[in-house]
Amino acid sequence: MNKPSLLWVIWMFISLIVMLSMRNPIYLLIAVLSLSLVGSRLAEQRGRKGWLSQTSGFLATMIFLSALINTLFTHTGQTVLFSLPESWFLVGGNITIESMIYGSINGLLIGSLYLIFSILNLALSISQMTRLIPPAFQPITMIITVALSFYPSIQQRTLEIKEAQLIRGNPMKKLSDWLPLLMPLLTSSLEKAITLSESMTARGFSSRPANKQANLDLAILVVGTFLIFSGWMLSLYHYPVFVQRLLYSLGGIAIISFFIWTNSRKKITRLRKETWLKKDYLALAFLIILSVSLSIGMLWLNFNEQLTFSPYPALSLPKITLTGICLALLPGLPLLVLP
Amino acid sequence: MPKKLSGILVGSLVVLVSSISLMAPFLLPALRQSGVQTTFPVVAGLMIGLCLLIILTEIQNSVLTNQLIALLGILIAINAGLRFLENAIPGPAGFSPVFLLIILTGYCLGGKIGFLMGALTMLVSGLITGGIGPWLPGQMITAGWVGQTSGWLRILIHGLRWKDTKMEIAILAGFGAIWGMLFGLIMNLWFWPFLGTSSGIGYLQNGLLIENISRYFSYYLTTSILWDATRSIGNVLLLLLLSRPMIKLFERFRQRFSFKVTSTP
Repeated sequence: MNKPSLLWVIWMFISLIVMLSMRNPIYLLIAVLSLSLVGSRLAEQRGRKGWLSQTSGFLATMIFLSALINTLFTHTGQTVLFSLPESWFLVGGNITIESMIYGSINGLLIGSLYLIFSILNLALSISQMTRLIPPAFQPITMIITVALSFYPSIQQRTLEIKEAQLIRGNPMKKLSDWLPLLMPLLTSSLEKAITLSESMTARGFSSRPANKQANLDLAILVVGTFLIFSGWMLSLYHYPVFVQRLLYSLGGIAIISFFIWTNSRKKITRLRKETWLKKDYLALAFLIILSVSLSIGMLWLNFNEQLTFSPYPALSLPKITLTGICLALLPGLPLLVLP
Repeated sequence: MPKKLSGILVGSLVVLVSSISLMAPFLLPALRQSGVQTTFPVVAGLMIGLCLLIILTEIQNSVLTNQLIALLGILIAINAGLRFLENAIPGPAGFSPVFLLIILTGYCLGGKIGFLMGALTMLVSGLITGGIGPWLPGQMITAGWVGQTSGWLRILIHGLRWKDTKMEIAILAGFGAIWGMLFGLIMNLWFWPFLGTSSGIGYLQNGLLIENISRYFSYYLTTSILWDATRSIGNVLLLLLLSRPMIKLFERFRQRFSFKVTSTP
């Protein structure tokens, strides 16, 4: 049985906060190992063969490409391997180990972000992901649901038309040969869309907002976005911290209010609700406490300072602390609950 | 008129905020300091995500009817199938068949519908192929802009009375070529902060805007030009070969999809 989607979403945010703060290669490796274990356990449950080899391949490619690009284009660092002529545009200069390591760290970070989302794709079904869209965007969700529902029949129809064209002697090799496939597919699909829209109207579905508060909701969202943007701009130019935090807080309150008000006005019937067991509620409470503790740690206890590392200007060994190891192991939490 | 004005104002604000967020390392020297670089991807991602929510809210409140919901659902299903095909049977380098329908939908049915077509194609194809990731908001908003700007082409072409002429197809093909390159350019801006702004591009700390942009273009030409060029060429070929009959089809259905059911009080 799938775990409730909310648990996975909170896990994703915790993992993202930890990974994006991390530049220490030892911690990154520990985190990537934990994520790989979680992913392979899930892939085994879902019957996805080859997941681990595929993701390992992607990870290795990202590390290699990032290291190569950074080594060729960034020429800072004290440990010089060799030098390319300065006259060579962009790549001319010292090739250093520090820039190679910095590039590898970035590649490892990108690979770990890909791992997190790959695990999320394994853990959640398409319907669970669609249900995560807030009721405020119900018409958009309706479009997505229609698209996902019609996808298999459109694939089937495409195959039928392609076979019919092949029988009629169309080689289906050049781009122009695909027009006799695309036109009947589009025509029949658009006719289906008209029939569908009439069915929706007959059943009383209406996508237009029922009241004039829709403009007010949009205004709140716009104001909230602008407040957060202003707080960010002021933070770059060293304005007083309390002003930045005030703007962030007001913007956050506006956006949360937007979702609460619009969600409460949209009356949606949810069929086949997710099953929540007692242990899922316990896991939710634990994750919420962990998220709050992590936020306090990052904002006020300088956890992120323990996770940083830079190979510049000269190579040095990364520091290892117990706090750092514990934070690096956080993405592997699902291993405790997965069968 | 007030609704159109508010739509224009909201759109302008979104373009301003999202452009500044993407171009921030070039425009704002303060962002090139090492202490700020680690938070930049998160904040820029949040801003782009919020801009996307604003546009989606504005469009769903203004133009979406049952007919358009059904129409978009079906067209997005077709386009998601094309994207699945692109992943399953990769064409040369960056060739992608999805932009054909996005451009033609925006051109024939309007910029807002084109935006939804682009953005939701990326989301639905991500759901189907398991490609949900941190790149998704950037992909959605950029593909949305492809569809939105193709709506403006209609005003240009109809204004110059080039409808049903060879110039119409030529302009569409040129538009597809430009966006083939622009899409890659914008997606690189979205992706590189995650690489660390001091790698690769090598922003000049005290450099002028022009200096840093030229370094970015030099880097882009060295690493991404081939991929984006094949996407451009693919768009041109698809639009030249397939757009005329598809435009006629969309024009035929356009009237049927603008039929409105209203109730008298």
